[in-house]
Amino acid sequence: MKDLKPITSAAELANLRDSLAKDSEAAQKKIPYRILVCTGGGCLASGSLAVKDALELELVKQDCKDRAVIVATGCLGPCVIGPVVLIAPDGVFYQNVTPQDAAEIVSSHIKGKKIVERLVVTEGASAKPVPLQNDIAFFKRQTKIVLRNCGIIDPLDLSQYIARDGYAGLAKALSMKPEAVIDEMLASGLRGRGGAGFPTGLKWKFTAKAPGDVKYVLCNADEGDPGAFMDRSVLEGDPHSVIEGMTVAAHAVGSHQGYVYVRAEYPLAVERLGIALVQARKAGLLGKNILGTGFSFDLEIRMGSGAFVCGEETALMTSIEGNRGEPRTRPPFPAVKGLWGKPTLLNNVETYANVGAILVKGAQWYASFGTEKSKGTKVFALAGAVKNTGLVEVPVGTTLGELIYDIGGGIRNNKNFKAAQIGGPSGGCIPKQHLNVPLDYDSLNKLGAIMGSGGLIVMDDDSCMVDIARYFIEFVQEESCGKCVPCRVGTKRMLEILNRICEGNGVEGDVERLIELGEQIKDTALCGLGQCGPNPVLSTIRYFRHEYDAHIRDKHCEAGVCAGLVRAPCQSACPAGVDIPGFVALTGEKRYAEALRLHRQRNPFASVCARVCFHTCEFKCRRASLDNAVSIRGIKRFMADQEIVVQVPEVRENETNAKRKIAIVGAGPAGLSCAYFLARLGYRPTVLEAEPRPGGMLVQTIPSYRLPREVLAREVRMIEHMGTKIITGKRMGKNFTLASLKDDGYEAVFVGVGAQKPVMLGVPGETGEGVVEALAFLREYNLKGSVPVGKKVVVVGGGNAAVDAARTAVRLGAKSVSILYRRTREEMPAYAEEIEEAQQEGVSLTLLTAPVEILTTNGKVSGIKCRPMHLGEFDSSGRRRPEADQGSDFVLEADQVIAAIGQRVNTTEVFDGISLELTSYNTLAANHATGQTSVSWVFAGGDAVSGPSSVVEAIAAGERAAAGIDRMFTGENHAFWREEQQVATSYDPDADPVPYPREKMPLIGADRRKNNFDEVEQSWTESVSVRQAKRCLRCDFGKKTAHERR
Amino acid sequence: MPETTTCACGGTVTEEQMSKQLDAVLAEYKSKPGALIPVLQTAQTMFGYLPDPVVRKIARELDKSYSEVAGVVGFYSFFSRYPRGAYLVRVCLGTACYVRGGNEVLSAMKKALGIDIGQTTPDRVFSLDIGRCFGACGLAPVIMVNQDVHQRVKPAKVGDILALYRAKSKEEIHK
Repeated sequence: MKDLKPITSAAELANLRDSLAKDSEAAQKKIPYRILVCTGGGCLASGSLAVKDALELELVKQDCKDRAVIVATGCLGPCVIGPVVLIAPDGVFYQNVTPQDAAEIVSSHIKGKKIVERLVVTEGASAKPVPLQNDIAFFKRQTKIVLRNCGIIDPLDLSQYIARDGYAGLAKALSMKPEAVIDEMLASGLRGRGGAGFPTGLKWKFTAKAPGDVKYVLCNADEGDPGAFMDRSVLEGDPHSVIEGMTVAAHAVGSHQGYVYVRAEYPLAVERLGIALVQARKAGLLGKNILGTGFSFDLEIRMGSGAFVCGEETALMTSIEGNRGEPRTRPPFPAVKGLWGKPTLLNNVETYANVGAILVKGAQWYASFGTEKSKGTKVFALAGAVKNTGLVEVPVGTTLGELIYDIGGGIRNNKNFKAAQIGGPSGGCIPKQHLNVPLDYDSLNKLGAIMGSGGLIVMDDDSCMVDIARYFIEFVQEESCGKCVPCRVGTKRMLEILNRICEGNGVEGDVERLIELGEQIKDTALCGLGQCGPNPVLSTIRYFRHEYDAHIRDKHCEAGVCAGLVRAPCQSACPAGVDIPGFVALTGEKRYAEALRLHRQRNPFASVCARVCFHTCEFKCRRASLDNAVSIRGIKRFMADQEIVVQVPEVRENETNAKRKIAIVGAGPAGLSCAYFLARLGYRPTVLEAEPRPGGMLVQTIPSYRLPREVLAREVRMIEHMGTKIITGKRMGKNFTLASLKDDGYEAVFVGVGAQKPVMLGVPGETGEGVVEALAFLREYNLKGSVPVGKKVVVVGGGNAAVDAARTAVRLGAKSVSILYRRTREEMPAYAEEIEEAQQEGVSLTLLTAPVEILTTNGKVSGIKCRPMHLGEFDSSGRRRPEADQGSDFVLEADQVIAAIGQRVNTTEVFDGISLELTSYNTLAANHATGQTSVSWVFAGGDAVSGPSSVVEAIAAGERAAAGIDRMFTGENHAFWREEQQVATSYDPDADPVPYPREKMPLIGADRRKNNFDEVEQSWTESVSVRQAKRCLRCDFGKKTAHERR
Repeated sequence: MPETTTCACGGTVTEEQMSKQLDAVLAEYKSKPGALIPVLQTAQTMFGYLPDPVVRKIARELDKSYSEVAGVVGFYSFFSRYPRGAYLVRVCLGTACYVRGGNEVLSAMKKALGIDIGQTTPDRVFSLDIGRCFGACGLAPVIMVNQDVHQRVKPAKVGDILALYRAKSKEEIHK
């Protein structure tokens, strides 16, 4: 790059800019293409230099030097798809470019003007190609002021910066009085982008007014917050914008010397800034007599040495002075007494990068972006579990949900959003119920987070919030400089408490101690590091208290992260706590009977769950980080299918227990599981079931093509044979009540009546003939063997009941079946594979549509009036709320409408006489650990407590209540099945994982299955099953958890 | 007999040579305010670590007490008083890397190198440390080997990365 001659006046600078613009136009006529290769930190790490070299080589090889030039630019933003390349002037954006792609880019695009389709970004489930940068969702919602040049210019070419109005802001500022410059900054509303958001203009004003001849202007580039990398990108991608901003500030406050304090972890930023400083000096834009105005200002780079606390302003200055980087008390503020005791102005990189643009385009223009109290734009570093990680700049006030879903593309691997940590170790987390929060200083403060530097780490269900809090406190503790006691000792005590909670040794009162300590440290620590240090702990307690409680009381880590509590993440994720690695390993050794008994230690319904469980275990499987999760359900299916002699685990006969009278109301999975575990302790419970067949939802609503009745009956019989009496046709509220059970001498009652009360659509016409509720429809078919079915069936709803009803209707001869759902397919609560199988059988999905009226002719259903919807803001569950489109209602023909929009617990009829406490969701309130309700002898579990949930959750609740009932009788814990056993299986921890990929379960073809209720999913062969079992990484190997140590 | 000490490049430097190299640095910075840290940084880059004679000389020349200089050296994590391996492997445990599995990478690295955090392999090829964010969060988890950033590191790939540098270090010796 050739150096520019010294520029001696503002007019000369303007002329230069114009001539550069003309030159580039002329150059473009001669050489039509510019190939912009991102050389930001992320793309460099992904190998963009090799891509650049390969492109250079290809241009020569294919004789295209006259058709394209290559520009190495700063960060373009989307790190995750790097290296990225942009072809100007077309605006075509290529992702994941490798050196091998260079030849095709040159031959196809540069020579043949044809886009290389395979390298363009694709969006949505249909993988629609989006070649133009401005059409890509990640870019089109951004507004770039700070990053205005990043990814567009070569950061090492000053003339490119000047051609884009670079240093024009400085020229303008130097023509203004310092006070006028400060007024302009005040009017712009710019607030410090480093953390607390102090108004920049005000800071400048204070420094300008402070008495003193020598003043300093400092730039804080010690971007220490883990998760933030915008300052790095600006320094690497557009270093002159920082130099310009600082020089303007120097003029405004009356300084002649400045320092940029850059952290040592950013060698490339130091290098590029150093080059830019030399260029600016040579061009007369820095140093003595800038632009011929007589004003002098020079800059020096100072490197950090790896101390986080040096990002704090007073510590930073102490460090520049050559001392240990310890902070000091304020006041006096740096504006009065800063570096070497002189008045000092300190802003961060992002703040300075705004200044040039504000002066060129005016304060009013800048203030037109953002919210009332927070103006302009903010750069966020998106990282963590979000699809499009990278650097984005949006107007202040953009909502968190827009940032994560519209720009960030949502959560990776279709997992659920849990929380976003914003502001690094000084900030807090924002949970899913606040996805609508506008990202501005004040709104974030209200939620207990801070804007901070703008690092935004997105977390999914795989992050444990207690562990995250522990991580941040450990960070603060390690980085505490040690000068003040609250920070040095206080954070250490907090860390000790958090460590013991994560190790499974937490005690009651720990959370309260954390809150108390945290508040004290906040009030008394010397500097921002300590004062904000407890924030992540306090904010996770505020939003995720239940996780702390689960760690302390149940010794359970829901996310499967805390090593001391988790034997294997799959087991931890299983509500019933089945020893998954154990039965998988035994199956791998063909020891099926042992495997089954091990499974039934915690869950009697091995065969049932092998078919209907939604397998949360597989979502947590660590093998997924290698290729795909172990197919745990498939392995279980094969294991369970090998059962010839019924495999019952240990039963402890007990004469005293056998005499106790225990009633269980409802023979669903919760009630039967409770009976099973009671029987294992020697009790002889009686199960009362309203319907003619035991099984609850398993027999009434889950269709037999998913769960053959004989499979269920076999496991129900097993429970009966263990000493449980099941009496059918006995309905609570009709044949008996809780009070009458008490009168009959029952000492304990378990209520597992489920959630059976249907929720209707609430639209006109729903009482018409042909409108039926899904559970009633399924129950009638499953228990009686027939149910009226229409020709044109519309099912309203998106859950499993809707899909079950639709597939049952297909099998019973409906000509067309359509599922109407108000959100998109991604939001449907039904299992994805069920939806897919339904579609194969001819069920159509009408998405983003809500019913508004059911049309009837002579009292019979003739159609359903529908309204198109779109997804709007986020609701408290973190899903987007469907909102009605205007006009354009349409009618779907239908002669039967099946409503499947949910169930509630039927509380009024059932609990006649005995008043059990209810939750705010109108379900039964029961102790989480024991199932005990507000009436001491009544226990409850399953959907009646949780609301509509899963089979395995109900099984787990039944187990807890069985242990709870026994504890009420005996005062002791006898749940012997909870003790972990190490199964002796061969495993070599040093061997490489087996390379077999995950296998799908075979299905009967759609044509063969859609006219009958034969089981759709088939079992593997033995050799496949054993191979699949060997894929397990045996996370449990050599682990002892808090449960076992107790 | 002059005290000898080993530098990062594997060769030996006498105190005399060290002293000469330092003089140039000290001459450049001596007159500047706040010179101590830049001088220490340069010295650390030159020798790979800060041997005691170097620390003493810097203190003398900058007219500071030994304890003050030692205090500064001890405060900042980048300064080391002990020799390090030719390649400093830093596993990032910044937030993004932490939530994307940085800890598993660290365990794999410890296992592969057979050393703990802060230690150096007996052949002086590798030292292991943790990092607090290198600003490559979009590509987490990352590790940094000297100045090279390796992105999206999987625990299983740790061996391949190390092999790369092991080969490099052998080449250097052959040269």
